[in-house]
Amino acid sequence: MSKNSIGEFEEIVMLTVAVLYNDAYGITIKKEIEERLKRKVSVGAMRTALNRLEKKGFLSSEFGEATAVRGGKRKRYFKVTPYGKTALESVMETRKQLWDSIPDVAFDFKFS
Amino acid sequence: MGTSMVSRNQHFKPPGFALRFLRFFCNPELLEDVEGDLVELFEERSRSSKVKANVRFLVDVLLLLRPGIIKNFEINTQLIHTGMLRNFILIAWRNALKHKGYTFINLFGLVIGLAASITIMLWVEDELAMDSFHEKEARTYQVWRNMYQTSGEIVTTPGIPQPLEFVLEEEYPEIEDVTLISWQMEKVFQIGDNSSYEIGRYVSPEFFQVFSYPILLGDQNSMMSDISNVVISKRTAEKYFGTNWRQKALGQTIRIEDRKDFMVSGVFENVPKRSSLQFDWVIPAEEYISRNDWVPSWYNGGFGIVFSLKDNKDLLQVTERLEQEINKHTNYENDERIMLQKFSETHLYSKIENGQPSGGRIEYVRILIVIAIFLVVIACVNFMSLATARAGRRLKEIGVRKVMGARKVSLGQQFYIEAFMLSGVAVLFSLAVVWLFLPYFNELTGKSLSLNVSNIQVLGTIILLTLITGMMAGSYPALLLPSFKIIQSIKGTLKHSPGAILMRRGLVVFQFSISLLLIIGTLVVNNQMNYVLNKNLGLDKENLLYVSLDGALFEKSKTYKEELLKIPEVKNVTTTTGNPLDYGRSTSGASWDGKNPNDVVEINVLTAGDDLIETLGIELLQGRAFSKEFNDSTSYLINEVAARIMGYENPVGGNLNVWGQKGKIIGVINDFPMASLYEPIEPLIVRYDPANTFVAFIRTQGNTYEALKSIEELTAQINPAHPFRYKFLDEQYEANYKSEMTLNSLTRIFAGISIVISCLGLLGLASYTASQRSKEIGIRKVHGASMLHLIYLLSKEYGRLMIVAFVLAVPIGYYYMNQWLMDFEFRTELNWFLFVIAGIVAFVVGALTVSLRSYQAATVNPVDVLKDE
Repeated sequence: MSKNSIGEFEEIVMLTVAVLYNDAYGITIKKEIEERLKRKVSVGAMRTALNRLEKKGFLSSEFGEATAVRGGKRKRYFKVTPYGKTALESVMETRKQLWDSIPDVAFDFKFS
Repeated sequence: MGTSMVSRNQHFKPPGFALRFLRFFCNPELLEDVEGDLVELFEERSRSSKVKANVRFLVDVLLLLRPGIIKNFEINTQLIHTGMLRNFILIAWRNALKHKGYTFINLFGLVIGLAASITIMLWVEDELAMDSFHEKEARTYQVWRNMYQTSGEIVTTPGIPQPLEFVLEEEYPEIEDVTLISWQMEKVFQIGDNSSYEIGRYVSPEFFQVFSYPILLGDQNSMMSDISNVVISKRTAEKYFGTNWRQKALGQTIRIEDRKDFMVSGVFENVPKRSSLQFDWVIPAEEYISRNDWVPSWYNGGFGIVFSLKDNKDLLQVTERLEQEINKHTNYENDERIMLQKFSETHLYSKIENGQPSGGRIEYVRILIVIAIFLVVIACVNFMSLATARAGRRLKEIGVRKVMGARKVSLGQQFYIEAFMLSGVAVLFSLAVVWLFLPYFNELTGKSLSLNVSNIQVLGTIILLTLITGMMAGSYPALLLPSFKIIQSIKGTLKHSPGAILMRRGLVVFQFSISLLLIIGTLVVNNQMNYVLNKNLGLDKENLLYVSLDGALFEKSKTYKEELLKIPEVKNVTTTTGNPLDYGRSTSGASWDGKNPNDVVEINVLTAGDDLIETLGIELLQGRAFSKEFNDSTSYLINEVAARIMGYENPVGGNLNVWGQKGKIIGVINDFPMASLYEPIEPLIVRYDPANTFVAFIRTQGNTYEALKSIEELTAQINPAHPFRYKFLDEQYEANYKSEMTLNSLTRIFAGISIVISCLGLLGLASYTASQRSKEIGIRKVHGASMLHLIYLLSKEYGRLMIVAFVLAVPIGYYYMNQWLMDFEFRTELNWFLFVIAGIVAFVVGALTVSLRSYQAATVNPVDVLKDE
């Protein structure tokens, strides 16, 4: 886990890819994130993240068919790999454990 | 909707430069979909605002400039390496400044070595380019006549029976143009009061078709059509007709030899120095032939013949048919065969032995090329051995570089770069040196060489020379130095491998062997030239001048002689048909008792007037000389060689028939060489016919200057039409050995240069040894070693090396110098003494160099070298 830790932005990208399922390529991912998180994402930042995740083996990608719309360039569709899923689950698990370990009083602000 | 979108989108394209920039830096694996994404976004955005879309596109592209996206430029950075390169150059520069002494030794050696080589290369290029400017150079041939003697010898002459010209023109369709070329002559040109001697030749009208001498004035096709035409050089035209010769020269009359008027029908560009034929005028050969009825005969050779082959014709076919052409027309009376040689090769391959070209000047060209290579190599050897020796000083640098991750390759590159830098600088300096000294070199060699750097060939050669020098000089250090171990390097202790030490010793031996060879060569050549010039020829060539009997002098030769003898400084006067030391009039038509009529023997025939023996200082061995008291018109003198050939037991009184004149031998004179000392002495018959002699020989005594003044006055008085001209026999004789003399002075200079370069290297190496052994010397000094002992200790290694070099150089030098001497019929012996001198010179100079440096090392205070460990 320590070796392949996932940053916050990466986690969001991976989750978005999973959400989009069959339609996860550069533009849709970008739009989805922008829509849900209400923040701007540059193509560069997103591409770098996708690239890094793919290198780590959390994502896999394949080319779609060429379309006239994009100047004839093919889309690269991303999928979360099983390994990626494990990683995401472990992040969630960690968080959940953390949440579970929080003593009730910690978030009870009545007495503070 | 979809189709309309596509068509609309075609009007909105993302900015091209941004796209190109993206394509330039983006990792090709990612490029396709990244570009697709951007374009898709752009299209979407451009629907609202085109300007905004453009700006956003550009921003996006710029934001993509991040490590994950940019492609790997590593391959390119390895090739360019500018940072490292700058560092190497900087370090090389600092090192050069830090060790000024070494840099100087290196640079100085390289500069003189390169300067000498560049000069030689210029000379060689000039020699090889001789006659190459003729357009038809590749298919122009000189005709030679090989005369097979009964003795088995082959006498070769360029004098060809003139009728062969017609045969070549008519019976050989392969041949394009044929021209006769006479020997170079000097004739007096007269225009009004203006008269002087000009050199030129009689040639056929086709001369200007065969050769490429540009015509400046006149019609090339008709200017040689009349036998009273003369075509002159631009130089001559300017001399006689002034600067506007272009308007004035054509149609002018020049009186030549005070005999006949010629009309200027053309002007040609001055003959370049790269032409082996030199002339300022040409006159149709027909003019000469019409006056000399001996010329149009198959039995005489009055002219040289040169022809050009038609394009794409095979010379071999011509050669075969041509060979027997003279024999066919003389019924095989004397066996005379035709041999062909490419005209442009006649300059360098002028020596003809056994009827075939066998070297000549090309040998000197080769010798000098070898010397040029040697000089560069020994200069490079300096660089190599000094760089290895200096390695000690660079060890720490190498070590640190290695610790910082420098690979062997990059260290090697560093030393190569240093070598190239040094050789580049050296080449620049040497060009300056060449430029400075070229005028002196030209004077020495009689050339007009120039350093033309804008010439592609010259520039290419110079760049090539820089690269080769850099390679040669840099290779050894570049391969050796980076291979030292890091620990050793940083500690600064350096143990050279036995291989490296052997290599360095080998280099010293090599350098000194070459220097020794050059010294030996110089001494031998010098010795031989002294011998040639001071040899007792059997004819006293000192204080003997000769005047050509031109114009009125010829008719009044008797008066002239009488008047000459009245001058107190004139001792004797005689007249002959030519310079006896450079004589070429011969016949195979002499016969004597007991001669086999079928034998062909070529014998020189000299025609002389009175007082021949006294004036020339030759010796009468038997019989008597020509005398006015007898009728000597059918009396002959012969030399010893001729006497041997004729085989008379008692030659005096023997019958001799020359040119159909039966007569008697009245005396035998001693032998003297009539050609160069390369040849054995030829047989000679002397005829007595004062009326048919053309040259007056005058032996002077006392003040030569006074003698010349009186002779000039007298000559001008008798022959006012001709300017007075004379030659000294000894000077003419020396002029025959001009190329040997040049070789002599050149080898002397280059031997000097080579020993200087070698000593520079030795100096560097001795310094190295001294610094390597500085602690040892210190300890020895502390223990009481004497100065002499220390010097001996430091020098003895080099002494041994020089002895090895001597042992190597002697047999090689002996072999080659012996070969060179063998060419001379008259030569000095190869004296062992010369080798000893060469050895002593090299040894003394080398030992002085080494012991000077050793002395310096031995006088250092031991405290200075022993204080740190």
